[in-house]
Amino acid sequence: MRSFEQKKTQVDDIDRSMYDFKDKVNASFEVKSGLTPEIVNQISVEKNDPEWMRLFRLKSLKIYNEMPLPSWGPPLDGLDIGHIVTYVRPNTEMRSKWSDVPDDIKNTFERLGIPQAERLSLAGVGAQYDSEVVYHNVRAEVAAQGVVYTDIESAMHGKYAEMVRKHFMKLVPPTDHKFAALHGAVWSGGSFVYVPPGVSVTIPLQSYFRLNAPGAGQFEHTLIIVDKGAYLHFIEGCSAPKYNVANLHAGCVELFVGENARMRYSTIENWSKNMYNLNTKRARVEKGGAIEWVSGSFGSNTSCLYPMSVLQGEGARAEFTGITFAGKGQNLDNGAKVLHLAPHTSSRVSTKSISKGGGCCTYRSSVVIAPQADHCKSSVSCESLMLDSESRSDTIPVMDIRNDEADVGHEAKIGRISDTAIFYLMSRGLSEDDARSIIVSGFAEPISRELPMEYAVEMNNLIKLEMSGSIG
Amino acid sequence: MSHELLKIENLQVGVEDKVILDGLNLKICEGETHVLMGPNGAGKSTLGYAIMGHPQYTVNEGSIVFDGEDITQEPTDVRARKGIFLSFQSPEEVPGIALGNFLRVSQAAVTGKEPRILAFQKEMRKTMETLGIDPGYAARYLNVGFSGGEKKKSEILQMLMLNPKLAILDETDSGLDVDAVKIVSRGIRQYRSDKNALLIITHNAKILEGLSVDYVHVLVNGKIIRTGDSSLIQEIGERGFQFLETGGAQN
Amino acid sequence: MNMTLKQVNALPVRTWNWLGVNGTPLEGDVPESFPRAEGKITLPDSVSSAAHPFEGAGIIRTGMGPEAERFVLKKKNAGYDLEAGPGVKAEGPVFIEYRLGPSCPALADCNTILARENSELTVVMQYASDGEGPVFHGGVTKILAEKNAVVHLIQVQLLNDSAVHFDDVGILTREGAFVEVIHAELGGSKAFAGCKARLEGRRSRLGTETIYLGENSRELDMNYVAEHIGRETESEMHANGALMDESQKIYRGTIDFQLGASRSVGHESEYTLLFSPNVRNRTAPLILCNEEDVEGQHAASIGKIDPHKLFYLMTRGLSEAEAKRIVIEAQFTPALEKIPSEELRQTVLEWLKERMDRNETIG
Repeated sequence: MRSFEQKKTQVDDIDRSMYDFKDKVNASFEVKSGLTPEIVNQISVEKNDPEWMRLFRLKSLKIYNEMPLPSWGPPLDGLDIGHIVTYVRPNTEMRSKWSDVPDDIKNTFERLGIPQAERLSLAGVGAQYDSEVVYHNVRAEVAAQGVVYTDIESAMHGKYAEMVRKHFMKLVPPTDHKFAALHGAVWSGGSFVYVPPGVSVTIPLQSYFRLNAPGAGQFEHTLIIVDKGAYLHFIEGCSAPKYNVANLHAGCVELFVGENARMRYSTIENWSKNMYNLNTKRARVEKGGAIEWVSGSFGSNTSCLYPMSVLQGEGARAEFTGITFAGKGQNLDNGAKVLHLAPHTSSRVSTKSISKGGGCCTYRSSVVIAPQADHCKSSVSCESLMLDSESRSDTIPVMDIRNDEADVGHEAKIGRISDTAIFYLMSRGLSEDDARSIIVSGFAEPISRELPMEYAVEMNNLIKLEMSGSIG
Repeated sequence: MSHELLKIENLQVGVEDKVILDGLNLKICEGETHVLMGPNGAGKSTLGYAIMGHPQYTVNEGSIVFDGEDITQEPTDVRARKGIFLSFQSPEEVPGIALGNFLRVSQAAVTGKEPRILAFQKEMRKTMETLGIDPGYAARYLNVGFSGGEKKKSEILQMLMLNPKLAILDETDSGLDVDAVKIVSRGIRQYRSDKNALLIITHNAKILEGLSVDYVHVLVNGKIIRTGDSSLIQEIGERGFQFLETGGAQN
Repeated sequence: MNMTLKQVNALPVRTWNWLGVNGTPLEGDVPESFPRAEGKITLPDSVSSAAHPFEGAGIIRTGMGPEAERFVLKKKNAGYDLEAGPGVKAEGPVFIEYRLGPSCPALADCNTILARENSELTVVMQYASDGEGPVFHGGVTKILAEKNAVVHLIQVQLLNDSAVHFDDVGILTREGAFVEVIHAELGGSKAFAGCKARLEGRRSRLGTETIYLGENSRELDMNYVAEHIGRETESEMHANGALMDESQKIYRGTIDFQLGASRSVGHESEYTLLFSPNVRNRTAPLILCNEEDVEGQHAASIGKIDPHKLFYLMTRGLSEAEAKRIVIEAQFTPALEKIPSEELRQTVLEWLKERMDRNETIG
């Protein structure tokens, strides 16, 4: 009898200490965001996190609560910051039914010819579309080359656990900004890819394969390591609108490009027009390596996307080609950041933006050349097209050069479609709408030609849709 | 009396606040080749733009009737689809669209049906060959980085591929070297038939060699002050435009 | 007394704080009271010197911002309110010269320039110093150019290496007016400059030409803003400079096309030559646009002198140092040519030559 009682007491003690912990540190947290350490712990337990990850999440939560919102950039009024927990743990009522999905989303699926089966998955209604089969096939194919392509959660246990731990949120630490901290606390799902030295991965890997994985999208973490001399092309997103009732996407992408390795990261993003897309993407490039970003950004209500390239090793190279199309009700604040930390590094940023129907496009960038980075070269070019006077287009580039052996050039242009160009195309029989559409597609062509064909075709279709104003 | 393609009556055209064409009359029938000459600034290009419906040029008075239909208020693409073609003096550069793709889209727009890929490519290659255009140009962006001569050839290529009822060529010979002029001339001759018509705007007669010209009009100060036959070209070549201005209108 | 301006030269749209270009604090040691300062002024007969600023001067915003403006107004101890009457084409420029030094260690000049309809005038303000002791200059100049008026403002600063200086300009243009501002920021330990123009009148135009020289640990901080309000307005903003030693510079140039400024055109360019591994150059060329029918362009180029150019000059017999000097002078020429005084031009050229000669990083 007595021993039995003793055991019970022990259990009580443990319970109480957990309770104490909560009382001492968490009361204020609960008031602020509804996101408590208890909830974060719960997430960690559910995910079967190793201990280091659980502590990491808790530390990130603390940082999140202490950090202010950014004092620059588009307004984030549509985000319910006070109830962040609802984005993390949506209650079952929040899970959407097909009948709740907005009509304009359904229409876009129709116009883009999205197969019926995929629509439910894209609309966040359920996991009926099974991309698992395709995913498994791709996995097997690249595994033959020694490539590891798996979900991060399982990669944290087993052979690659230490590799993941060494790299996880080292490139984008939770202290980077408030939503990186949030991500650190509640991240869920995502891909882990490791390409061994010298391996050139012949087929592009696509995040699309894993669309319906649990927690997919919102707080997804992508960690890719391309070892010495290897090559990988990773494609993120798709042109079909992704809809989610919980309208925050605070994902994180970390790319480690090894010596003389090459990585191409392509994105077509068309999140539904209620989304706040606050994704943080960063690549670190070692000696002789290269990162190529290709980006087509069409969706979201508000986005803040600034893929950053850290040129760590001598001779490293970064290239960024991107297009942003902001239509009615959208405020897309996108750009690129480059940090030259070593000699003989080079960067080229080439962006285009289109503003239409009251949309607001902001190009925001930074190019920094550190004192020790001799003989670096950087060129930035951005071109903006205004399609009417309801819209806005702002260009805010900044260069910070701390080395005199640098060669830095920058140019930007803004204007409208020329009347003579429209007249010329109309004189060849095209209607005015078609003429505008062709000119805008031509404007976007430097980006679409960098994408694999199916994506380029999808992107052109998206542009046509946006131009005809039939996307809500 | 062959079929009347273009009838312009009492046309007054202005741009911004200036009147450029003032009471212009012109009639072009099927199978005819007309030449429009005149000193610089007379309004020759304006006539081309007005027939094609350039948005910056306003028709204040008069009418343009094409193939029996009044097109004075019609938008440019409608006019193109009815069968009018304008070869530009300074063709636009349109980045991002390949010449070959553009030709196909344009042909589809003008004929109303999508050309079959193989047949189209064959036709395009053959036409490019006649004009001495490197087949590689089909992949280049429309007019981007083309030399003056290459741009003009690109315009004639488009004309041959779209096969309009009325082709207006605005200063097509300017910027071309001797060989290019010969080639373009050949292209124009290839186009000409009993069923279509040509209006060549020029102030230099080189392009006209080898072409049988039916009417020559002289445009001065926004009006056609003299119409004659091909011998007028030589007269102007020898005596300039001045003698006509003082000589008064004669139609 | 310590002067602390929390933020001047604010960037019209904020960006990432860590870049440090959203605005700059300006601190300096200034005397408690500013004794009345006398400048030397040459005034052509047709230009009058009024007793007070023109009506509405207070509302015109400047490039450095209200904090700087308030400070100068509070400490004002010099300044001129100039007016060119309707149709008056001034027969010569207005020259205003200040010499700072032990007898005049602080200068806060508030100036206004009113150019009435169809008038034309040029105002040259020159700031120099005697000795090496610390001096302070803060100046605010407001310009109103009425219909079809033309104003040229040239401000040349050749202060010693311990000076704290700023030139702040605010402009309002009416229909068809043209205002040109030339800034030569060539001395001081801190040299700040700002210019904001509200191009309100249809077809009005702004031109700015800025040249700067960074030496020792000079801090250069500039903010130029062209607000296109009226239709068919034009702006041309250019900056050329050289940075040596441990100097640092921030140049902000903003073309702001507001709704309604259709058919407007804005061009901006910046060329910076770097001569030492310890300099820091920051550039923020902004274009803000809310109007479809406009044309905006900017170009920036930062780096060393083109080695081919240097080689070419050297094959013509010049030493490397001479070749560099020629290239730098060529950069500054477009602005220097606009100084309507041969004497002042020479002074500036000699100033530049002397500084480049004694500078190791160049010669």
